[in-house]
Amino acid sequence: MKATLKTLFATAIMAAALTAAQAAEQIDIATDATFPPFEYIDSEGKLVGYDIELMEAICEAAALDCNIFNAAWDGMIPGLIDGKYDALISQLTVTEKRRQVIAFSDIYDRPIFRFVAKKGAAFDFTPEGLAGKTIAVQTGTPMDAYVTSHFPTASIKRYDTGSAPYLELTAGRADLHISYQAQIIHGFLKNDAGKDFELVGPQLTGADAEEFGEGVAIAINKKNAELVEKVNKGLAAIRENGKLDAINAKYFGE
Amino acid sequence: MNWTVIAENLPLYAEGAKLTLFLAFASLAISFMLAVPLAFLRNSRVTAVRYTVLFYTLVFRGTPLLVQLFLVYFGLAQFELIRTSILWPWLSSPMVCVLLTFVLNTTAYTTEIFAGGLRHIPVGEIEAARAYGMSRRTQALRILIPAMLTRSLPLYGNEMIMMLHATSLASTVTLLETTGVARMITLTDYIQFEPYVTAAAIYLALTFVLVSGFQVVQRRWAGYLENRIG
Repeated sequence: MKATLKTLFATAIMAAALTAAQAAEQIDIATDATFPPFEYIDSEGKLVGYDIELMEAICEAAALDCNIFNAAWDGMIPGLIDGKYDALISQLTVTEKRRQVIAFSDIYDRPIFRFVAKKGAAFDFTPEGLAGKTIAVQTGTPMDAYVTSHFPTASIKRYDTGSAPYLELTAGRADLHISYQAQIIHGFLKNDAGKDFELVGPQLTGADAEEFGEGVAIAINKKNAELVEKVNKGLAAIRENGKLDAINAKYFGE
Repeated sequence: MNWTVIAENLPLYAEGAKLTLFLAFASLAISFMLAVPLAFLRNSRVTAVRYTVLFYTLVFRGTPLLVQLFLVYFGLAQFELIRTSILWPWLSSPMVCVLLTFVLNTTAYTTEIFAGGLRHIPVGEIEAARAYGMSRRTQALRILIPAMLTRSLPLYGNEMIMMLHATSLASTVTLLETTGVARMITLTDYIQFEPYVTAAAIYLALTFVLVSGFQVVQRRWAGYLENRIG
């Protein structure tokens, strides 16, 4: 009996050590799932979206054991800096300010940014034209930085999630919201809630204002150069084998 | 550690602390005015009145403040009827929604605290008031309300502190009070410890002032109860 107990104990310790070793190799990747169709929770409670499929494909191509999960936007970049997460995939734009504290993979998309407003409402997109207008944005995003510096006399309302600005828009508390054009179309305008709204103003990119950054990439802890390399290899592989095109077509192909 | 960011944002913290104080004191002042009469109704001889007040306090003590705030701010806005009503100019303002929710919430707790104080007034004090031939109004103003308030003080002091801290929820609906300022800094400068520890220090300082003030009030008006304890 004593011997069996001992064996049992030893096995338990070995099993624990094994799981610990496996856990150490697992790559923890956080995403802010309030941004359909890029990352969101579906009606069954599952984490889905463009970024999620992209990340899974990269992990598969690079033979990485990835654990992708939902996390709050306000703690994401600090969490990556502190080593709580190994990487982030959340349509993160590469900006000079972020480059100082975190590393990025190669850019995988160059988004267009756009305003959205109630159908028929006309706006003059100059600092004077938007004076006093209420613009809803997600805090700490490139869109937030852009409106803050370009429309200082507008009333800017900031929210913790990517979805709250749409609630404010439909409630009539905000005149405008600015986000990724693809996110506005596929996450809002195509839904019932967005039927009275439309894209307005010019198409904006990193070329129009530096706040929009160079493009979107996967954020990785600065100390983990090895992971940056692996992710880039995975990204190159899915570009090559057509997997990236397939995901693009699935989400944005007409 | 990156304290320069905090130093640069001190004016923002000052604005945030001002808003925190305003939200706490405005909701507490309004709720005090409402809770005193409600405490009497909560002890009314008419069963229907007593239970109506109990229903209200039960609903607002039985649901989280954050859920109440989201229902008022985001929930009501969903109804076309409300958006087109004459109330919308008020209900569309986050400040009005926050104050309305805070007042409804803290009034529920305060009503129960005061109603409990009212029930624990010794019968002798009320009999003495009657023996003096005081009218019901005079009884209430000179005996019942002062006795109720002095007996409720320690519990009410706790409720005031809780309300001060609950104001941090206002940041979820765009009001930039102390916690909102801290969260904004975490999102723009990617640090977490420094902004939140600064916010914590502000709340601690405000609580200290509140508690000190309360001790003065306690000694001045509830001193006569002290020899009964211990």
